[in-house]
Order: sequence, then C-alpha cells, then structure tokens
Amino acid sequence: MKLALKELRRRPGRFATATVILTLIAILLMFLGGLLDGLIASSTGAIRAQNADAIVYSDTAQASFLRSRIDPALRAQVEATDGVTEVGGIGNVQLGARVPGNGPRDLASVALFGYELAPDGVPDAPPYGQAWADESIEADGVEEGMIIEVGPARTPIEIIGFVEDTSFNGQSSLWASPDTWRDTLSANRPDAQLGPDVFQALIVRGDGDDLPAAIDAATDGATDSYTVDEAIDAIPGVTEQQATFNQIIGVTVAIALVVIGLFFALLTVERTSLYGVLKALGARSSTIFAGLVAQAVVVTAIAALIAGTLVVLLDVLLPPGSIPLLITPSRIILSVVLLLVAAVLGCSFSLRRVLRIDPASAIGTTS
Amino acid sequence: MFLAFKEMARAKVRFALLIAAIALLVFLILFQQSLQNGLITGFIGAIREQNAPVLVYSVDGQRVIQGSVITPDMEADVLAAPGTGEVGPIGQGTFTGLPSGNTDGETFDTTLIGYELGPDGNGIGAPSTVVDGRLPTADDEAVVSDADVQLGYGIDDTVTLLPGGKEITIVGVAENAQLNVSPTLFVSYETYLEAVKSVNPDAGTPLPNVLGVIPAEGFTPDEAVASINEQSLTLDALTKDDAAAETPGVAQVQQSFNIIFLLYGLVVPCVTGLFFLIVTFQKANSLTLLRAIGAPAGRLVSSLLIQVVVIIGLGLLVGTLLYYPVSQQALGGISLQFETAAVIFWSVLLLSLGVLSSLVAARRVLKIDPIEATTGQGVGS
Repeated sequence: MKLALKELRRRPGRFATATVILTLIAILLMFLGGLLDGLIASSTGAIRAQNADAIVYSDTAQASFLRSRIDPALRAQVEATDGVTEVGGIGNVQLGARVPGNGPRDLASVALFGYELAPDGVPDAPPYGQAWADESIEADGVEEGMIIEVGPARTPIEIIGFVEDTSFNGQSSLWASPDTWRDTLSANRPDAQLGPDVFQALIVRGDGDDLPAAIDAATDGATDSYTVDEAIDAIPGVTEQQATFNQIIGVTVAIALVVIGLFFALLTVERTSLYGVLKALGARSSTIFAGLVAQAVVVTAIAALIAGTLVVLLDVLLPPGSIPLLITPSRIILSVVLLLVAAVLGCSFSLRRVLRIDPASAIGTTS
Repeated sequence: MFLAFKEMARAKVRFALLIAAIALLVFLILFQQSLQNGLITGFIGAIREQNAPVLVYSVDGQRVIQGSVITPDMEADVLAAPGTGEVGPIGQGTFTGLPSGNTDGETFDTTLIGYELGPDGNGIGAPSTVVDGRLPTADDEAVVSDADVQLGYGIDDTVTLLPGGKEITIVGVAENAQLNVSPTLFVSYETYLEAVKSVNPDAGTPLPNVLGVIPAEGFTPDEAVASINEQSLTLDALTKDDAAAETPGVAQVQQSFNIIFLLYGLVVPCVTGLFFLIVTFQKANSLTLLRAIGAPAGRLVSSLLIQVVVIIGLGLLVGTLLYYPVSQQALGGISLQFETAAVIFWSVLLLSLGVLSSLVAARRVLKIDPIEATTGQGVGS
C-alpha cells in the first residue's frame, strides 16, 4: 500500500490523464444530480413544506390544483372522517407579477397560494392584500414592504416578508389569505374562479394508519388523497424526471467504472514484470491489489474533490433563473460514494491479472 | 494495417473494453439528444405546428399560453396594428381526459387547444400537418397529436373530460403537435369554452389566451410582430418559432443539455487518448525494435491511427445499435425519435476528436530513436 501511494507521489503525471477523465465524469455526475435536485426542488417546495398527513384533491383532478374543486359539502365529509383532527383549504393561481422598478415587460413568475393551515416555515395567513413570498423572488428585485401587481388585473399584493424553499412549478410562491387568493383568482382567471368557500384542495392533519385511504373511503371516492410524499410524486413530470435522470446517472457511473477498470488493467499489464519481482521478494497478491485499490481510491478522491469545487463554483457563478441547479452536500457525497464504489469495482478487474502473476517471471524479464 | 489488426485480434479484451466504454458514451449522448428533442417537441410542438405565423400573448402571460389572457382592449389594439391581417382567438386549457381507446380506463392530463375552425377546419391556429384523418369541421371533434395515439387517442375514439363528462371525438392525427408533454387535442373554440364550463360550474367565460395573427399583405411575420408590439406595452407578439423557443423552460432545457453534451464530448477523446497513450507506452520496446529493423515511423503511426478509427468506429456502431431500439420508445409522455442528423454529427465529431487525441500517442511513436533498441530504452523512458 505504501509503495502504491509513494508511486502516486513520485510519478503523479502517470495518473494525470485518468484524474482528468474522472474529474469530467465526476462533474457530469454532480451536475446531473444537481440539475435533478434543482428541478425537483423548484417544482415541489410548496408541497414539501406542507405539515400534513393528507393532501386531498377532487377525484378527477390528477393531483392538479387548477383542476381540483372541493366544495363545502365535500369538505364536511372529509372533516367527519375518523382520525381527522384539522382541515384547512388551500388554493393556487399562477400569474405574472409587475415589480416596481422593473421594465413594463419584465414580470416575475409567481404562484399565489391562499391557505388556512400554515405550511412549515410559513407564518399564519396575513391580512387581506398581503403575502409572504418565497425568497427566490428576490432575484426579480422584490423587497420586503414592496407592493407588486399580480396578473392582468394588476391585483396589488404587499410583500411582508420572505420564506424559504417553497417554490412551485419553478415559480416563486406567495402565501396569502384565502380571500386574497380567491379574489385574485376571480379577477385574473375568470375561467378558473371558484365560488365562496370552495377550495382547490384540503390540507388534512390527523392520526390513523392510512389517513388518505380513510378519507377517500369516507367520501365514497369523490376525493383523491395523498400523503405529502405521494403528492410530490404526483406532480406531473416529477417521477419521470427522477427516473430519467437516475438512469443517466447510473450509466455515467458505469462509464466511470469502465474507465477506472481500463486504466488500472492497463497499468497492471504494464507493471506485470515489476509485480513479478515484488512477488518474488515475498509480497502477497493481496498487498499488490490493495495498492492498486488505494491508487484508484486516491485518484478518484482527487478527481471528486476537483469536480466538487468546480461544480460549487459553477453553482455560484450561474445567474439566478438560468439553470435550475441545486448543489447540496448530500448530492456531492452521494456522487463521491458512487465514484469510489465504481473505482473499487473497476479496479477489481485487475485482480485476476495480479493473482496470475508468477513470481518466477521475475527472472530474466526485467531489465 | 496488418500489424494494427493483428494486435487488436491478440488483445481482444483490452480493445473490447475501450469499444464498450465508447459505445456507452455514444449511446448516452444520442439517447439524451433524442430525449432533449422529444422533450422540447412534446413541450412546445403544438406552437411550432399550428398555422398562425404570429402569436400574440399578453405580457402577463410570460409566453405561457395558458397564463396569457387577451382582453377586448388588447384585441382591439392588435386589430389596429398596421401589420395585422386576419386574427383568430386561441384558447388553451388542461383537463383530465378519459380516452375510449385505452381499455385500462386510465385518465390522462389532456390539453385542449381551441381555435375558430372556419369552413374547412383550417382556421387560424389549426395544426399545419395532418398525417391521418382530417381536421375538425364541427364542435366536439378533435385532431390529436401523433404521440398520443398509443395512449388510446386514436381516430374515432372519444375522449371524456372529467368531471362533467363532455365527450370529444377524434377525427384526425397531427404530427408533433403536443403541448406540455401531454395528449393534445385541437378543437373548435366553442368546444373549448364548453369544456371549461363543464369541468368547473363556477367558471366565468374565458377570454382568449392568445391571438393567432396572419400578417397583412406586404408584411413579413417579423414586421407584423414589431407593428403589434408597438401598439401596446401589454401585448407580446412573437413569430411562432420565437414563441416556441421562448416558452419558459425551453432555453433552460437546452442549456442544461448542452453542458451535458459538452462534458460527454470531452470524455470520449480523453478516454481514447489515454488508452492509446498507455498502449503506446506498453509497446515501447517492440516499437523501438520495429524501428531498428527498418519499419518507417509513418507506418507505425498509420497503424495506430487505423486502430483509433476502427475502435471509435466500432464504438459508434455499437452505441448507435444500442440507441436505435431505445429511440423507438416513448419515455413517460415523451415520444423519442431516431435522430439521424445527430448520429452523423456526433460520429464525425467524436471520430475527429478521437483521432486528434491519439496524436499525443502518435507523437511518442515519431520520437522513437531506433538506436535505443541497443540500450533497452524506448518511448516509455
């Protein structure tokens, strides 16, 4: 092992090309993962923030706020379900917002929520005409105390503070009272307006093993209820995005495995005679192989370190709103772990060659 | 050449590993190219494939059809613009659709695009290319995008919108005309209005989401766009190609994929270059000996380059063969297509980059001094 690490120190150039390739692959892995996390986070923040045991839509809504409609009678059925302790209405409308100081064609995309039960990190619903805003809207120049005009009807909404990680469908969310939301919806989207006390969905808290199923049973199938995790997965595109990106990440890890396998297999072939000498001197195959693994791990770790730094730098340098990249420590750690596993597995291709080296070959083969 | 092939035949595993690595990379690049194009076509194909050369959004819509609302005042401004010829309202909404052609009883997010049919169904906003059946000529008839037929949206099938139960019969199939990566139906404007009312009894009468505009005689689409945008700061006129390209999300998808392609494009020549450099190091003594017994350097280099071309060529072939069956599938709601142009582009690019990267190894070969055969040193020294 010491010999292997010494070789890395003395002849780093020998490993430079493999390090460069692995760095590129590590950047790819982290970038792909960051892109997936960014896309999912910007689409699902508002749902993730819900402190709920069930989110209830109407039966044909396909978990879409815009297509869901829960009238007071249906709500009463939900409230009467065994295990339900709290029920709050929620609704959403996605509009453009005019920000003071921005150009007349430079609008911010917002998703205005009206809510009765506050999500995690969001205070109770503010008075009429006011809203808490997701901090992502700050990139559009919105500041606390500012009054923005929402939708073609230019409904004024005063921003009274910011909350974190509550984006929805890639848009900055605004959190307002049900009346603010309902009036904004009617004024700007008459085709989607809802009657008094009608909500798009319900946030339900309670106990019981399977509250969503209990609610759907109690309403005789007039509702379509989800846990928070299920509601996130039910957002159109989320599952597909995750499946596609995970497949691409998987194949990229396989490529890393092949590259490492190729590199160390060739390195082993090149050093067969030297390993023969080492074996003749008493070195065991396991020691030689451990040295190879140590080299692969170190090369991969260096590549991952460089890649991690570059990806974080890229994340910092990217202008807000250009690419939905979200680099998190957990994503970097996962990428590094995947690469290290690939490194060890790739290296194991050389194990057979190391085992086959005959110490007798040392005689007369090295110059 | 003989030497190049003989060496490859003797070290099958070594070269097969490299071919496998390149094939996987090629497969990934081509698959992602199809995914990108399929995603974008599924996302905004309907905008590209409808027949109005100019689309007018409200600025508030931020270039999302469903988010845009055209008030009567805005419509008057559009009609007053010198570049405006004919104008037609276009409405769009997403509904829950139950197609009769799907025996599982599965429901799908279904996009309705309503336009004024005109006498033959070819009004402003109609799909440009109908590949099967005909355009709708009456209310409750629809043309569907070709990608949706496999989901049960075939000709003569009916789609029931839920709740409300409004039924629409499919009479034609248009090419690449999806919107929002969901089954997309082109229907009469009246059918669209009825659909909105059927699913939400509280709904008011929807205003048009966008206006389709045919430029006045003597005006190009670009001139009509400029003319309409000058009329009002609340109007956002775009040619249909610009409207498609500038739909929120499209540019981000392209940028993200371009970065991914760039990285994959860099990995292929690096892997190839590394491989042949190492192989050249390994063969140092043999190459020196060959030079010493009179083999010209040019022949050794050409042997190396032949190996590079063959290896990358086989990698491209295997990668493309892996890609072909995948490109015939649909992924989620995204219909993939075999991208011939992408195969050619990436083949030429990767082959060129691969050959370029192997020049480092070729330089090593050219530096071999035959006299070193007598000292035991080679290119590896």
